[in-house]
Amino acid sequence: MRILIVEDDAALASFIRKGLEAEYHAVDVASEGNQGRSMAMEFDYDLVVLDLNLPGLDGLSVLRSLRQRKANLPVMILTARSRVEDRVQCLDSGADDYLVKPFSYLELSARARALLRRSHLPSESVLTVRDLSLDRVERKVARAGRHIELTTKEFALLEYLMRNAGRRLTRAMIIEHVWNLTFDSTTNVVDVYINYLRRKVDDGFSPSLIHTVRGVGYQMNSEGASV
Amino acid sequence: MSATPRSFPQLPRTPDVLDELLHSLSQPLTSLLCSLELSLEQVAERQHESVAAALQQTERVVGMVRLMQEYLDAGQPGPEPCPEARARAMRCVIDDVIEELSSIAAVRRVRLLLAGTCSVRLPVAESRLRLALQYLIAPMIEAQPAEGKVMLLLGEGPAGTVLRGEGERRSRDLPGATSTVCRVKLAIARRVFESAGASLVLDDGDFEGFVLSIPRSN
Repeated sequence: MRILIVEDDAALASFIRKGLEAEYHAVDVASEGNQGRSMAMEFDYDLVVLDLNLPGLDGLSVLRSLRQRKANLPVMILTARSRVEDRVQCLDSGADDYLVKPFSYLELSARARALLRRSHLPSESVLTVRDLSLDRVERKVARAGRHIELTTKEFALLEYLMRNAGRRLTRAMIIEHVWNLTFDSTTNVVDVYINYLRRKVDDGFSPSLIHTVRGVGYQMNSEGASV
Repeated sequence: MSATPRSFPQLPRTPDVLDELLHSLSQPLTSLLCSLELSLEQVAERQHESVAAALQQTERVVGMVRLMQEYLDAGQPGPEPCPEARARAMRCVIDDVIEELSSIAAVRRVRLLLAGTCSVRLPVAESRLRLALQYLIAPMIEAQPAEGKVMLLLGEGPAGTVLRGEGERRSRDLPGATSTVCRVKLAIARRVFESAGASLVLDDGDFEGFVLSIPRSN
């Protein structure tokens, strides 16, 4: 996929670029609003990662301008403004997603992937990773043909892991997406629920699909994934 | 020699200064966080532990910065056009928050119970209301020892609506509820509720419970 980063902070742009290139995307960087708008208009990108606070033309103006010509181009906004009204303004102006600084690269990567998937593929009702399948409509999970009973929270956690198969997910990302709560490092709820899931999804099966990523969080084995 | 009066540009208010500082801090902090995350995969095994430790410390700083942002945001008047008539019923939002927190309570073997009902709507953005309720109720769960109980009682009277939170027992060995982070979270909750015209009273400095009073609107 081809991605445009419009970000005036050279260090941050460089880290994001390195990360996305390591995931086999072709990445261009613009450090100024007008330059970003011109590049986005001229070339065919699959995703634009757009900072709001830019020299020259500000990010919101770039976004509005893009929406007039490229209504379907996915745009993810980066900003240091976290207030509800800031988010509403961005989404109302046509942003597809919104990430508040300071953010984790893993979070940006997961969201970029979700936007790219949304724009290229129809949403699938059944997710599969190797011999594990999760039916989002029927709310059923099976591994190697054997039905697995999960609680609502376990189901949501497994769905998030499978949607991001092959990606490292931090505990903060998991608790914010699955529990819809602000991450609190004092709670071990993620580790406990991962253990519940492992007992049901991995115990007695081979290979193990849920892996601990030391110092980060967890990752679902991606080989054979269809999500 | 007497000093000649000069006019200075108007200095920004304290919240604006803090907002600007946080804004400036968030940029390099994002770079640092992204850099450490990307480095973790590439460093040699003997350096892995140091980078992982640096990453954890950075994540703690990020957590603090987010709390500061939330504290400042909570004090902003009128978070969005959200008149009382359009706001989601408080009871529904409480139910949502309790559902999310119940799994955390279950992991700690704490019972989380809600009784009573209300029809009040707070003129505050739902995301902000959820955050305030989370920051109010979660510390009570954390303060309970295993097999403890947290009761939430909702009631409506002539003066308005009251949500009362009570911990059945409290373990003095659990530091969670009295930490600085917890106090800041409670302060955020108080600011959110006060911005919507409600008042929050904590039972004591060690946080054994709370009373949230929402006056009847005219």
